[in-house]
Amino acid sequence: MAAPWVGRALPLKEDARLVAGRGRFLDDLAPGRLLHVAMLRSPHAHARIVAIDAAAAAALPGVAAVLTGTEAAAGSRPIRPLIPTAVPVNDWCLAVDRARFVGEPVAAVAAVDRATAEDALDLIRVTWEALPAAVDAQAGARGEGPLLYPELGTNVLWHDTLTYGDVDGAFARADGVLEERFEFSRYASTPLETFGAIAEWDAGTAGYTFWTNDQRPGLTLAILAESLDVPQARIRLACPDIGGGFGNKRRPAYLLVCALLARRTGRPVKFVEDRRESLSALMQAAGGVMDLALAYRADGTLLALSVRDVTDEGKNLVSPAQHNLIKLGNIANGYRIPAVRYEAWSVLTNTCPAGANRGIGKPFMCFAIERAMALLARRLAVDPAELRLRNYVTSAEMPYTTPPGAAYDSGDYPATLRAALERFEYARRRREQVSARAAGRLLGIGIATSVEPAGTNLASYEIITGRRAASGSAEAAMVRIEPDGQVRAALGDPPSGQGYETVVAQIVADELGVRPDQVDVARGFDSATTPWLYLSGNYSNKFSVTDTGAVVGAARRVRDKLLRLAAHRLEADVADLELRDGAVAVRGVPTRRLAFRELARTAYADVLGLPPGEEPGLEARHAYQNPLAKPMDAARRVPSQLVFANAAHCCLVEVDPGTGGVKILAYAVVHDCGRELNPLIVEGMVHGSTAHGIGAALLEAFRYDERGQLMTSTFMDYLKPTALDVPAIDVGRLEHPSPYTPLGAKGVGEGGAIPAPAAVANAVEDALNSYGVTVRTLPITPEQVWRWLDSRQFNNVGSNFSESPQ
Amino acid sequence: MRLTVNGVVVEREIEPRRSLSDFLREDLALTGTHVGCEHGVCGACTVLLDGWSARACLLLAVQCDGAAVTTIEGLTPAEGLSPLQEAFRACHGLQCGFCTPGMIVLAHELLARNPAPSADEIREALAANLCMCTGYVAIVRAVARAAVARA
Repeated sequence: MAAPWVGRALPLKEDARLVAGRGRFLDDLAPGRLLHVAMLRSPHAHARIVAIDAAAAAALPGVAAVLTGTEAAAGSRPIRPLIPTAVPVNDWCLAVDRARFVGEPVAAVAAVDRATAEDALDLIRVTWEALPAAVDAQAGARGEGPLLYPELGTNVLWHDTLTYGDVDGAFARADGVLEERFEFSRYASTPLETFGAIAEWDAGTAGYTFWTNDQRPGLTLAILAESLDVPQARIRLACPDIGGGFGNKRRPAYLLVCALLARRTGRPVKFVEDRRESLSALMQAAGGVMDLALAYRADGTLLALSVRDVTDEGKNLVSPAQHNLIKLGNIANGYRIPAVRYEAWSVLTNTCPAGANRGIGKPFMCFAIERAMALLARRLAVDPAELRLRNYVTSAEMPYTTPPGAAYDSGDYPATLRAALERFEYARRRREQVSARAAGRLLGIGIATSVEPAGTNLASYEIITGRRAASGSAEAAMVRIEPDGQVRAALGDPPSGQGYETVVAQIVADELGVRPDQVDVARGFDSATTPWLYLSGNYSNKFSVTDTGAVVGAARRVRDKLLRLAAHRLEADVADLELRDGAVAVRGVPTRRLAFRELARTAYADVLGLPPGEEPGLEARHAYQNPLAKPMDAARRVPSQLVFANAAHCCLVEVDPGTGGVKILAYAVVHDCGRELNPLIVEGMVHGSTAHGIGAALLEAFRYDERGQLMTSTFMDYLKPTALDVPAIDVGRLEHPSPYTPLGAKGVGEGGAIPAPAAVANAVEDALNSYGVTVRTLPITPEQVWRWLDSRQFNNVGSNFSESPQ
Repeated sequence: MRLTVNGVVVEREIEPRRSLSDFLREDLALTGTHVGCEHGVCGACTVLLDGWSARACLLLAVQCDGAAVTTIEGLTPAEGLSPLQEAFRACHGLQCGFCTPGMIVLAHELLARNPAPSADEIREALAANLCMCTGYVAIVRAVARAAVARA
């Protein structure tokens, strides 16, 4: 057999159209008679909507319809939450009687163009009664502050303490306990294409068609059907090319607003967020405060971990406590920690809804653990690399189950760190750091390592709800040989930059004995033609652990059928046949062969030539669920996520005491995502994901003032890393295939974003070692550095400082 | 108003408030020019205006009366790809592809003025635009590769 296509760094099929500007993104679509939607958004963090007068707006020439919250509530049902609140509360697609964060939509206008729709917004008069805003999740956890939903009687959506193992005993026996508080700002991966949707109502069939860059169509279809009171069979939802997702690209409420306006006007309507709408109202990673206590022996062996975690959900009723669950699942990082306690609060505030963002919860969890490891190393005067090596779960212990139930399936965590240290030339850089410091330069080295799970097991929600609704991790795919012999595939997971058209073609090519360029993979997603599940979507790093299985399974069914057809026609035994170069041939007799085209003719046209009992056609569907997902057990242990990749990051920074600026001088990553299906894609994921972590470490934060006003709602004040901020990240790899995925692959999309904030923070703290600085929060802005230096050692900073403005 | 777009003379009557990016996308169906922030930071809408890179979202179309505008469509050969586009593909200097047209227009301008830029010069130039996917590493590689290919 020829060398497999899987594993090759093949240039991407889809890149050919994207570099030419021939992608087809949501805003490139324009059905006839299209109307454009603009939304009126709350200027208040918390306010009662006393009255809305939309008459003047509705009368503006060019305006087709105005929809208020009251009308939306009359025409649709509330959005069903993934994790229901203790007392049901109504979450409508527009604010009805109360706005709960700055930027929450309260009315929408459909007009002939966006400018006219925005003109109309200016004519809508809302009578507001401002209310005090709840912006402090810590206060909320204490039961203080104004309530978002008085009917709930609290802003705490979930509070619980989960204990695994003898935590109290371990703390009592410990030689020492490290206690620290860490804070994590809200940030987001901000895909460059904003979120949007087109909705069309067909009065003839009483059905809706949606085009959207929603990255989780399976779940969204369920919400749409329920909220619009339409059977799912009459909803078609399709995704074109998606310009980045990272978890952020979801807001069923906007699809509902479009649907209601489409139904009222009888015309297709399109809504596309502008950047301010996206930054202020789409999705932000939950911020919060974590109090951590780590019990250890004198030799640095970890004995127990206790975490109190207050998560700021904003106005998130859809998936509250999701961040908490994911943190719990990754609480031990790659370490052997026998006893764990996790006390969590999930708290509503009058800010943008928190939600999925590259690594959801894991960057904060990793930040806290890896900061603690750096502090412990300093306290014990042990090299931070050495301290980690003493505590890793080893490959000999795998499969290893952590106290809360995460199953580490494979990998060699010490080997990953050692390889990273070597790649980074750790020993040499440590020596250079000493001489640079002697010369007055503030150089620091940071290490952070992480595990990176893939696939979500929704059964973990049972920890919160006490009952199981959705569970497991699965995806569906289709492979078909068309009547002309060309291969086509489709997947229920719409990519947003992960190169599925190429990697799925590589997988199918191997199964069917063709070249990847002979396999056409459908762009995006279409519920009318793509097989899909409720669990379908582009989230949770799941391609490697579920999607691959769906594709392989569908391709094998087609292969088996090709073999049966060929065996019948060639009068040969299936065992003597092989698939090669787009044909089925008798092994060793190259002249006895039938091309796919010829077999397809039998399957689709000359069906009397089929073997007896064989169904016409050459198409197969397959849905695959990953075997590692399990229900919660009696001890409340559950794998919230599945197969684990791992990575080690080493970072060298220099702090400029004059400006407070931090420059990354070198950055090395060694990661192990199992078998790499396409190394070109994998390396890009590691670069991009690491850049997200660097942004969170040094630049990015959504800042709200004490009244809940967002201070950072444009790219002028919410800063993203540019090509000058991200270094030439040096990537090395190990490949320990997972025994629990069909191709041995593991997740790779989040791995950089998880440890990078900690790696950079550890490096900055190391650089400022002589100032006694402890990094407790991110981002580390120049202003923050400047304040540290100013407050600590005014006279010790060097000549640069005296030249800077006072 | 009269301007040249990708070598073709275009004459239109348009609203004064129409941005150049909307004009290109909505009126001329040149959807390769993307809109990412509409406040001049991200550079997804970068086009060449009389040979210089410009933010199409910050320009009113009427300001371009008499000018020559080149978009990604104008930099793409009728058949195949330009060497710069080939380099982006070979290096996978993109992921979702949304920033890519703007990046390629920007890189085209850089290489036109500086055919053999250093890695630092490439980074300096590309820092005008945002990419949320790649961490820029592969984009820098792609531009360097294209420069070598042209040399």
